[in-house]
Amino acid sequence: MKRETREYNYDWMIWSIFNAGAKALDGTQKEYESLMNVIPSFRTLLHTVLRHGKPGVLFLKMLLEYLDELMSAKREGKKLCLGTFVTAKHIFYAFDNVVPIWAEPMTVFGTLALRKATAEYMDYCCEVGFTETSCSAQRGSLGAYLAGLADMPDFMICGAPGICDTNANAIQFMSSYLDIPLFQLNFPAKLTEGRVMDYHRKDLRAMISFIEEHAGTRINEGKLRDLLEEQRRQDELASELYDFMRLTPCPVPPIFQLFHYGGRLTMPGRKSYTALLKSMLEVARKNAAAGVAGTASGKERARLLMCYIDHYTTDGRFWEWLDTREISLLPTLIFNFWHEGANYAAGKASETYHIDTSNMDTMLDSLADLNSRMPMVKQLRGPYDAPHMWLDDLLGMSKLMKPDFLVYIGSMGCRNSWGINKLLQRDCEREGLPTMLLFADAFDDRVASWESIMDKLNEFMRVRRISA
Amino acid sequence: MIEQMKEAAHVLENQFVRKWREDGGKVVGYSCTFMPEEIIHAAGLLPFRLRGIGTTTLSIGDAYFGPVICSFPKCMLQLAGQGIYNFLDGAIITNGCDSMRRLEECWRKASEDYPGTLPGYYEFFSVPHKAVDYSIAFYEEELRDIIGTLETHFRVTVTDEALRKSIRLYNEGRTLLQKLDSLRFSEKVPLTGGDAMAILIAGHALPREQFNSMLTRIIGDLERAPSQSEKKKRLMLIGSASDDIDFIRVIEDAGAIIVADTVCFGSRIHSYQVDGEGEPVHALSSHYLNHSICPRMLGYYKSRLAHIMETARKAKIDGVILQNVRFCDLHGSENGVLERDIESAGIPCMRLEREYGPLVETGRIRMRIDAFMERIS
Repeated sequence: MKRETREYNYDWMIWSIFNAGAKALDGTQKEYESLMNVIPSFRTLLHTVLRHGKPGVLFLKMLLEYLDELMSAKREGKKLCLGTFVTAKHIFYAFDNVVPIWAEPMTVFGTLALRKATAEYMDYCCEVGFTETSCSAQRGSLGAYLAGLADMPDFMICGAPGICDTNANAIQFMSSYLDIPLFQLNFPAKLTEGRVMDYHRKDLRAMISFIEEHAGTRINEGKLRDLLEEQRRQDELASELYDFMRLTPCPVPPIFQLFHYGGRLTMPGRKSYTALLKSMLEVARKNAAAGVAGTASGKERARLLMCYIDHYTTDGRFWEWLDTREISLLPTLIFNFWHEGANYAAGKASETYHIDTSNMDTMLDSLADLNSRMPMVKQLRGPYDAPHMWLDDLLGMSKLMKPDFLVYIGSMGCRNSWGINKLLQRDCEREGLPTMLLFADAFDDRVASWESIMDKLNEFMRVRRISA
Repeated sequence: MIEQMKEAAHVLENQFVRKWREDGGKVVGYSCTFMPEEIIHAAGLLPFRLRGIGTTTLSIGDAYFGPVICSFPKCMLQLAGQGIYNFLDGAIITNGCDSMRRLEECWRKASEDYPGTLPGYYEFFSVPHKAVDYSIAFYEEELRDIIGTLETHFRVTVTDEALRKSIRLYNEGRTLLQKLDSLRFSEKVPLTGGDAMAILIAGHALPREQFNSMLTRIIGDLERAPSQSEKKKRLMLIGSASDDIDFIRVIEDAGAIIVADTVCFGSRIHSYQVDGEGEPVHALSSHYLNHSICPRMLGYYKSRLAHIMETARKAKIDGVILQNVRFCDLHGSENGVLERDIESAGIPCMRLEREYGPLVETGRIRMRIDAFMERIS
């Protein structure tokens, strides 16, 4: 790692950038334009986000709220817990003195905002013994922690055993390397059986005991109730957003996918995410009333469904490219999981989670159900073509959203999806859905540059006569 | 006798399997050590550990698996697609790791294109990644489900008595393998690492009754055999699944002898006995989850390190080879921390990433081994 990279802590740099970005529109237009001159490597992303108006501002402010809590945790005597994006965050926010760090969102902040993304931090992981073939989603931020370039966590949660080896292994590696206490949440291959649900509930309660032991406090029942009630409201709003996405043209701007799951992964159950969802709905409602698409031109030439995750390339060029090509982005697949009663859960009641805030026990059961349906946790735990799993979800979502094509991108570390994505592609094509596998890395442009990915996407669309 | 073991290590459908089938016996393959062989055995079936040995191309493996997948299950798929595993009557695929768990779908889907290559009995078996009371209870229930499927498909009954008998038999095997370990740890090692590995692999490919009987005689012979370790550096092999005797040979040709290992086909799983007194399925569940030293059991690094250091002490090793098959992040990453911790204990280590299967990288591996031997000489 270069000496200059070690000059500033990674988490502080990210906070500093988003701190400036979130306040960019608080001043005058002239001040905003002046600011653009002093943040050359962040201004493209800032423009990409802020040109969407209120939702863009609220998105940045929500992320800043998260980062503020992270940066002030040690100063306020709170405990830091590092985990992965697949864990339901409400658990941690229900503690008065625990602040969670999420490895993947922390990586994405860097890939989006830093000129060289997280390359040096990723490589640092390899310098200290982590495999280069591991997932870049964790390596990006973990490299900073392994190098001591961040406020260090007091304990860790390994949230992906049974779902993703490389994700779980990244957390295990850091725990072993730095000797930080670790708890693992483990997921069986099935989702809906009574035995499995019972297992999840026991596992979640064991995790809470672990957090309580290391935080030195008990989970706050009132806080947990508020968070879950707020989650219920957020589910209703998200459901309405999905209703809009079914329209043709889709009135939801492509980057709203990032806003939607970015909030769901960092600030679920928090008021700032509710405000973001409401503002996104306002835009969607307005566009729908006008009969225009959410793209900048208001036109829709094609509908894309990302069948795994999006591409988090520097400056958010993925969403900008979609916008300029007038391609609507439909719900990114793994971020789809529903509260019971949601329109999108019709006929799939057993796959949904149920929120019951009657008492602590029912809330913990609700949390266990929610936690076991998080992204990847729901879709990748069992055989890809088993009920409730990847193919089932993908075909179900495709039926609802009517995409013109599907695209897979993951990371080079994603054994679980690369093990079967050719099969998935074949099955989708048999269903009449043009499906493309991108040999690229959503978090590391060095594997395949964004330019080469654009070429491939353009060529695929041309050859398959999509939006011809 | 060792020659027969070597044949079993080099050939999938070995003479013992052929004889078993000629006598009307059924064979059930399994992909990982987390499937208790005792259960298959108690059903009157021959448990056979799936391997990828003898693969000469990955044309089928690469057609279904993606490019960034471990070559071990790819080789298995290749052999399955070629019909090499048609001698199996059943197969159980576990989630030992993410590459291996996807063998379940790839084999199943490949069989649509290569008809007749999927065994009649075919199951996916999910194993927890932790050893606590509720995960052991869960695993026990899953094992009972597997027993149920075996009983239904093969029209057999797995009684508690049969399970206890199998546990006793496999415990005898474990005792014998522990004796073999002692011989390998001794000052004058009477067998090469290659021969030891052949015996260990054969344990997963022969009827256990015959294996125990043969191993008893081999140990008797070895107790009187001359030393194979004179002027050789004593090494320990750690890491990913390794069942390629030729890989061991390349290491030993450089003037070393492998006297200990913790690899998946090696000495990983016989250090402890299964409780033969308690309820058998519970005893198996408790044993297989509590006594694994596979890094897929997340969060148990310190106990794995302790096991390695204790084995290294007993075997009086001069160095450690930490190897992993490319894309095996579980072993590859753990090897990184192990290297730091074992080196800090004064034991030289070498990390080696390689491909599974044919020794396409012999030159590179030999060069690395030679360099390591220079370092420790």
